[in-house]
Amino acid sequence: MSSDPSRRYFSPEIEQMPRASIDRQRDEKLLGDLIPWAYKRSGLIRETWDAAGVRPADVTSMSDFHEKVPFIDKDAIRSYRDRHDDPYGGLLCLDPADPTMKGIFSAIFSTSGTTGDPTPAPFAGRGPSMLVREFWELGARPGDHFLHCLFTFRGPSIHDTIRGIGATPVFVDHQPGDIEQLLRFSRDFRPTGWYTLSGPLIMMIEETATRLGIDLQDAFSSYRGVVFAGEPIGPRARARVEEWGLELFIQTSLGDVGAATECREHDGCHMWEDTAYIESLDPEGTTAVGDGIRGELVSTTLIDKVAPLLRYRSDDLVRVTREECACGRTHGRVHTLGRKGDEIIVEGTSVLPGDVWGAVESIDETNGLFQMIRPSREVDTLRLRVGYATEGPGGLPALRVRIEDAVEESVGIRPDIDLVEREVLLRQGPPHKIPRVTKA
Amino acid sequence: MTFAKAYEDPPRVWGVGRVVVGDGIVPWPVSEADIDDETEVAATFLRELGLGADELVLIVSYLSQAIHVAPFERAAGVVGALYSSADASRFDAFRTASLVRQLKPTVVIGVDDAVLDGFDDLDRDPAEVFAPVRTVVASGTAAQARLATAGVTAGVWLRLGALNAVAGPGATELRYDAARWQVDEANGELLVTSLAERLTPSDRFRTGFEGRVPTPGRIAL
Repeated sequence: MSSDPSRRYFSPEIEQMPRASIDRQRDEKLLGDLIPWAYKRSGLIRETWDAAGVRPADVTSMSDFHEKVPFIDKDAIRSYRDRHDDPYGGLLCLDPADPTMKGIFSAIFSTSGTTGDPTPAPFAGRGPSMLVREFWELGARPGDHFLHCLFTFRGPSIHDTIRGIGATPVFVDHQPGDIEQLLRFSRDFRPTGWYTLSGPLIMMIEETATRLGIDLQDAFSSYRGVVFAGEPIGPRARARVEEWGLELFIQTSLGDVGAATECREHDGCHMWEDTAYIESLDPEGTTAVGDGIRGELVSTTLIDKVAPLLRYRSDDLVRVTREECACGRTHGRVHTLGRKGDEIIVEGTSVLPGDVWGAVESIDETNGLFQMIRPSREVDTLRLRVGYATEGPGGLPALRVRIEDAVEESVGIRPDIDLVEREVLLRQGPPHKIPRVTKA
Repeated sequence: MTFAKAYEDPPRVWGVGRVVVGDGIVPWPVSEADIDDETEVAATFLRELGLGADELVLIVSYLSQAIHVAPFERAAGVVGALYSSADASRFDAFRTASLVRQLKPTVVIGVDDAVLDGFDDLDRDPAEVFAPVRTVVASGTAAQARLATAGVTAGVWLRLGALNAVAGPGATELRYDAARWQVDEANGELLVTSLAERLTPSDRFRTGFEGRVPTPGRIAL
């Protein structure tokens, strides 16, 4: 790997790897290594495969993989966890007491827990992740400062990654209470990269800067790129951030086997196919959908030997394309559309949170804070709980009508709106997102 | 304090954290060597708190406390244990409760006022949450007192400038590493001086904490 800071890619030999090489490496890692490893050590994988009557020796090609390998999903993991009193849901392939694992299996992190109990995520190793490629793409370079604005429960991987490109992490909490320090450290240390920004944080930054009279264009003038993650961004929030002079790089989860992040072309999030095999399948079936067609993301790790997921149905609705990106990278891209379990059918019309996001957000008083009420998949009425910071002209009745009008214009359905003070929704954090769908 | 040394050789800088003095915040660059050195101290603390090999410590903290926390994270490995993490915020109190239930840590360190507020929001009794835990260590004396009121005898962890000081449950004095740090007092305020080489040295750094030093290595508040 070149140490030239002017090079276009961090790892050009991987990021521009020919498709045939990507596929060959996938086959070697998956068929020759991951499958036998996981079957032998993972209780959940073995139980699932045995129930399907499949053995690793039956899977010698990718067509075997597609035809025979059974799926797992979050319910299967939770079920195994409950039946076996195993916090790792039968996925852990390493024995913490194994002396050869000392210093390798080091920690247990956890998922955000937005929709339930946080799921423990065993962590092995230390050092930079593949996000070095993304941080380089943002424009951060050796010797730079890099704003690390996150939580503790994701572990040290991000700041190890920042150091992995030769930059220095500047630690800030992803919390409303630390916005003043975020602004101060941005001005004092002039970071070039920022990981991560979120919708609630944008709202808090805007309010803090207004209260303190801070010019955000000036405060943020050193940044070359900012990773936005946690949940989708609406057009209003995006416009506001772009007014501050920030270039956003959207990041999305890759079915719990990693993350995918936009490049400078901003045309989908690159999924690193040397680390994960991603399928896009019929959301109601098992057949693959075509390139660029809406499907459910099904993920298989190629590198995680601690708690490997094989054919994990993520519930995420996506469009996946493997057409080469204009940026020159050869790895595929994913556009996230929403979650299958979030879909509501109202009078025969499918509605996802993303479909009403822009409409709600277009009403300034809401800051885009809303939840869809989903007692069941098919409902008679589209019900939205919307948070407000101020009542606006005409008070709450007028605010309710403006939101109803905006949503009806957007999706063709007039919703029932339940207005609540925004803190009611923000308290349902974690701070970087709120549950966008709730049963009641 | 000067950061010049840090900027001359950026790759040596592990990260820019902070120290909190009263309501003030001072940015604080530390080196990889600083973290490694403090890890030895943190390993001693964790053993004294009862953490053993093949066990787990749950560290409740903020990312902004990284320069104080990273030594504990690495020290878990030195002890042969695992660690897990939760934010020390009101929002994230549910995670502390959930991970205690799921992972059954031996030691929980860093429970602060905000986490206890979060337990109140969740209508969770700290004594019930921490019942399976051998050793609970509060972050700050206010949280320690609240835990005591709730029936949890907890130790306390303080961040005095860049220095970690810890007292186990029932102990009347906090411990710090007297070979690497000197603590003295002026007008009742504790001052810390780094004796070992540090990227950002402390020279009688005012901590904002009141206390006294009965003997080197021990602090009475």
